[in-house]
Amino acid sequence: MLRVEAAYAMPDEQIIIRLELKEGSTVHDVLEQSELLQRYPEINATDSAIGIYGRVVPLDHPIRDGDRVEIYRPLTIDPKIERRSRSRRSA
Amino acid sequence: MTMVWTTWIILGGMASAIGVALSLAGLLLRPEEDALTIRIESLLPQTQCAQCGYPGCRPYAQAIAQGDAPVNRCPPGGQALIEQLAGMLGLEVQTLDPHYGEEPSVPQRAQINESRCIGCALCLKACPVDAIIGAPRFMHTVIADQCTGCALCIAPCPVDCISLHADETPRWQWPLPQLAKLRSVP
Repeated sequence: MLRVEAAYAMPDEQIIIRLELKEGSTVHDVLEQSELLQRYPEINATDSAIGIYGRVVPLDHPIRDGDRVEIYRPLTIDPKIERRSRSRRSA
Repeated sequence: MTMVWTTWIILGGMASAIGVALSLAGLLLRPEEDALTIRIESLLPQTQCAQCGYPGCRPYAQAIAQGDAPVNRCPPGGQALIEQLAGMLGLEVQTLDPHYGEEPSVPQRAQINESRCIGCALCLKACPVDAIIGAPRFMHTVIADQCTGCALCIAPCPVDCISLHADETPRWQWPLPQLAKLRSVP
């Protein structure tokens, strides 16, 4: 059995679900079993991503024992636009 | 005369046999971890904040156990920890060494200002307890339950969007089996 965590974090609430999956399971299986997508319908495939410990991985990525499968939310700002406006402010 | 020699041979043989056995036992049955280090570490706050000058609580515990470091260098542990450690090791109770920081009055938690986070992932690498969820070009979020308030993520942030706050986060518990039961009710 592979022991993993599924995690979804918002500013004031962070959900970490501990799961056990059979050998050969993928990131997709973790998401299914965690039921996070059903519980948080605001998560959508276009601007979110899935990863393990800070590294984005595809859905068919195999998981290893001890992994934390994370759902990432999009940024609220565009870093490039933000940098331009910051440099304009300081200039 | 042979009697004396026999005595010498028997006693000498026994002595060397015991000597060899003891040195072999010392080599083969060495305890895996220093028991004193473990006892000291169990008292340390596990913030892994490195304020003591060692990379984490374990190395500091080792240094104390070996007598290389005094017990008054842990600001998160504060005076209570110094008293506990001094009691355990039979040392004189000192006050916290101000060179290593001040004892925080309340537990601290890091918080990320989401309107400024650029998703650079530098704070993820700085966090000693993996309490930040995020990836490059995605939002970073602190897991309040796991944050030790060590402040190591604050300096690496290029846009200064992380700040420490007094810990007022509600402790969420997610009893998944009960939720699963609720779902099965028609």
